[in-house]
Amino acid sequence: MIHLEAKEHYLQQLKKELKKHPQRESIVQDYDAHLYELLAEKEDEKKTAEEWHLLFSEVIGHPKEVASMWKEELSVTPNKTFYLFLLMNAAFFVAGSLLTFAHLLNEYTWIQTVWRSLTSIPFIIMMLYMGFWGFLGYEIGKSFGARGRSLLKKTFLISVLPNLGLMLLVLFRIIPHEWFQPLLSTTFIMLCIAATILLYPICWIAFRWGKKQSL
Amino acid sequence: MFNRELLKGSTSLIVLQLLAERDMYGYELVKELEKRSDQHLQVKEGTLYPALHKLEKQEYIECYWQEQAKGPARKYYRIIEEGIQMLKEKTSEWEQFVQVINKVMRGTEHDPS
Repeated sequence: MIHLEAKEHYLQQLKKELKKHPQRESIVQDYDAHLYELLAEKEDEKKTAEEWHLLFSEVIGHPKEVASMWKEELSVTPNKTFYLFLLMNAAFFVAGSLLTFAHLLNEYTWIQTVWRSLTSIPFIIMMLYMGFWGFLGYEIGKSFGARGRSLLKKTFLISVLPNLGLMLLVLFRIIPHEWFQPLLSTTFIMLCIAATILLYPICWIAFRWGKKQSL
Repeated sequence: MFNRELLKGSTSLIVLQLLAERDMYGYELVKELEKRSDQHLQVKEGTLYPALHKLEKQEYIECYWQEQAKGPARKYYRIIEEGIQMLKEKTSEWEQFVQVINKVMRGTEHDPS
């Protein structure tokens, strides 16, 4: 039963290459079933153990090659994506807060220059930020397909909290309006509200687009 | 055999199309694809399973085990609602793409020079 021994040897090698893959057993089981079918078709052929091994590697791929495809699949997970976008959104807030405080403390000239430059292009920044939310929806759709819907909702709801929090803090004057001068014009506040309302539809449309690219 | 690059990206669409017709197991999918394409399209069988797994994770297909009278149980794949929807969208996109490419490739036929 050289062919069965060769099959076992191939599967053992694959198992070894998959090392700590969480679905190692089920992956090996899939290839085991596949090789079973292949052997059922070819068992009358006389081959040496090496020839069988070579055939398996030609048809399925070398165990190392197969294992690397499965490892690649592990690189993007819902959890990693969720935390990545949460962190990216938080990074915008942290960077914005640091710049605001540094500007208020009035310590360095270059910070005043950065502050002036950024506050003179609020609409461009707003568009870029909305682009970030579009990117979030697109990436989730592209990576997780239909399953990404719940991840999108969860990521959106949690990521939008700092935005709403900041808006409320400014609205109820817990954060003095003067901190954000010259940003807080009525037009800009109205646009911020409109942009916040539009965030989810933007995310959703981008998700649909990304989902189409998931195949 | 065609250049593998031409087939790349179409594997999932082909798998969804085959599964839209009937539930199949991995080996059967490979053989069916070879048969239908007169052996022109051959998916490296090792790549099929990560593709199936991805489609399952994306909730376009699902799997179930079926006991066999002879041999081990087989893992069958079946397309689900989202997969059918996606197949429709991608098929229409594919048909448009083929039309455009054909039009471009046939362009010289109408060239009077």
